[in-house]
Amino acid sequence: MARRPLAPRLLRLDRRVIFILVALATAIPLLFPVNLPISVSPRVRAAFDTVDKQPAGGYVLMSLDYEPDIAAELQPMSISMLRHCFRKGLKPVILTLYPAAPGLIERALNEAADAEGKKRNEDYVFLGYKSGSQSVILGLGESIRTMFPTDFWGTPLDSIPMMRGHNSYADFPLVINMAGSRIADYYIQIAATRYRRPLVLGATAVMTTDYYPYLSSGQILGLIGGMKGAAEYEVLNNLVGNGRRGMDAQSVVHVLIVILVIVGNLALLLTGGLRRRGGGA
Amino acid sequence: MRNGPLLVTFFTGALLVAFFFIPHHSAQKMQSVMLDWANVVYAFALILGSITLWTVHQRKVTSRAPGWAFSVVTLSALAFMTGAGVLQGVEEGTLVNRFYNIANYHLVSTMFALLAFFIASAAFRAFRARNVEATLLLVTAIVMMIGRVSIGEYIWQGFPALTEWLLDVPNLAAKRAIAIGIGLGAVSTALKIILGIDRSYLGRS
Amino acid sequence: MTPELDTRLFEPGRLNLLIGLVLFLIFLFVNIARAKRGASMFIRPIAGLAAIEEALGRATEMGRPVLYLPGLGDMSEVGTLAAITILSRVARRTAELGCDLEVPGYDPVATTMLESAAREAYVQAGRGDSFRPGTVHYVSAQQFAYVAAVTGYMLRERPAANIFMGSFYAESLFLAETGNVTGAIQIAGTDQVTQLPFFVCACDYALLGEELYAASAYLGQEPIQLATIAAQDWAKAAAAIIVVVGVIATALGHPEVGRLRQTQ
Repeated sequence: MARRPLAPRLLRLDRRVIFILVALATAIPLLFPVNLPISVSPRVRAAFDTVDKQPAGGYVLMSLDYEPDIAAELQPMSISMLRHCFRKGLKPVILTLYPAAPGLIERALNEAADAEGKKRNEDYVFLGYKSGSQSVILGLGESIRTMFPTDFWGTPLDSIPMMRGHNSYADFPLVINMAGSRIADYYIQIAATRYRRPLVLGATAVMTTDYYPYLSSGQILGLIGGMKGAAEYEVLNNLVGNGRRGMDAQSVVHVLIVILVIVGNLALLLTGGLRRRGGGA
Repeated sequence: MRNGPLLVTFFTGALLVAFFFIPHHSAQKMQSVMLDWANVVYAFALILGSITLWTVHQRKVTSRAPGWAFSVVTLSALAFMTGAGVLQGVEEGTLVNRFYNIANYHLVSTMFALLAFFIASAAFRAFRARNVEATLLLVTAIVMMIGRVSIGEYIWQGFPALTEWLLDVPNLAAKRAIAIGIGLGAVSTALKIILGIDRSYLGRS
Repeated sequence: MTPELDTRLFEPGRLNLLIGLVLFLIFLFVNIARAKRGASMFIRPIAGLAAIEEALGRATEMGRPVLYLPGLGDMSEVGTLAAITILSRVARRTAELGCDLEVPGYDPVATTMLESAAREAYVQAGRGDSFRPGTVHYVSAQQFAYVAAVTGYMLRERPAANIFMGSFYAESLFLAETGNVTGAIQIAGTDQVTQLPFFVCACDYALLGEELYAASAYLGQEPIQLATIAAQDWAKAAAAIIVVVGVIATALGHPEVGRLRQTQ
């Protein structure tokens, strides 16, 4: 029996073979890191510079709005952003609008604070979660204490020295939002446009391009996009976190997909050629 | 009476549009209250949704429809998490919180991670040079995939800059155009609802 | 100025938006008047919407259900409103053809609206008694829990047609690829620009952006509905003219003309 040509078989490649290849392409670089170089894009550089030029002792309002599904992209950038703030002597006040986020944020805070030797309620405050999204973002312009009477652990804000004199957007020279949803749009509309707060955004890779117009119009001052953006921010801070570790795997998987696409197109070309010559299985 | 919902829709919609242009503190306060009402309505609708979920799966169990055992799991989980949440709350250390961290957290991450496999199989199937547009899509996708990762720079120094140009110029131009169209379409659809031209959301033509 | 002290009755920085809104309303009322006078309203063929009829016919012939996903938005999203209006058209046709319809809901409020729209559509088609309770049902308001349920349904029941209309997010490729595995004909429309590429690659037909909002008018071909599409097109033309004027003015050294478009 004559063997079937390779090209038609490649065109009908079982997707499980593709899945196995992707699994290997992801796992091997994570187990055996290559540490490929990472160049920093102007958008991430702009985000870094915006934070970097804040004077020591300045306050930053950070809204970290993500859940486990997109934590792989946003958690590394949150951690490196927190560490950057701590290194600059800034005082971040952190909140979240996602119910499943507090656990993730606590982990990020613990990691960043332990690494930089910072203490809760002296060097940073975590307000916790509040439902309402848009109404909360609006309410922060009037009174933080109305939205968050206590911090995440139940301490009244009035008894936290770090929070004295800081009760609305007007008291924060910089707002940072890490989100993978339209929460970022609300911060642009309300914090950046209505209250004219300088705003830096972190977003998932898929959503990053949605915010390019705001960057070019100056409504946001910096944009960190996806795991690559997180890796770039880690490079700028001389850190090695999950952003940089993940880039090796991402590189290999991208190359694999390109190879698969090229193979598929070659198979298509050859299949078309075989039909024209009247050959075949 | 039949026009009651239409009038409520009209006045609510018109008010919220007006509040966008009125910065007076009373107007902003009212807007904030109305947004809070929306959350309250959502909470009640969640109860209704849970009842529907219960009814659908209970029907499957009682009629022993194919896969009814999974419906038993669904009903048990719904009852357990609702009961535990009501009795203990959802704060750190409660059963609901612990189950959320043990199960939901990892299940959600896993599901999201599966997208990487689907992207690979979709790209293999879809990126075929069948015509001019498909070829353009294919070439652009390859340039983007290589240029956006570290390995792109190794292959060719110009990849990152080319990728940035693709994102900043043609991509942004197309996105802005689509966004303008979507924005105007959204305004049109919203006005149709507010003015009562489209009433299908009420179950009427 | 903090809002507590703000006693202004109008934000002057938004005057341009107010003018735009009034202009849009004028376009709307003019076109509705034209429609009532019997003016013909042409709408270009949209392949994805024309394919809905083909998809429903295919499902009827094969004796397999039609799966309609209204997206993961809530009632504040215009995409969800569009999904509800399209469902009423699709449900009417499935009632007339006698094929099964399955509509898993994500948002509880939207699910009640969807059920009401679907039930009414069956009544209008004269098949009120064949509307199956549970046709429209709430699944979960958690993104991937919803996806797991829907993809499970796809793999078990193998619907002949999958219609995705509404606001979709990261799960779009998941749904489309799983539907592809089952061999269903797939038609998708979303207003989420970031998800359009995934639907374009993985579905047979894709409605891009505003085509989703035009779908209801397109499917019903009612003059008043078509008039709103015409108004939209007039507004788009006006926006294009403003953009071009702004670009030319800026190039000629008058950037203040372009800045008139900025808002606060």
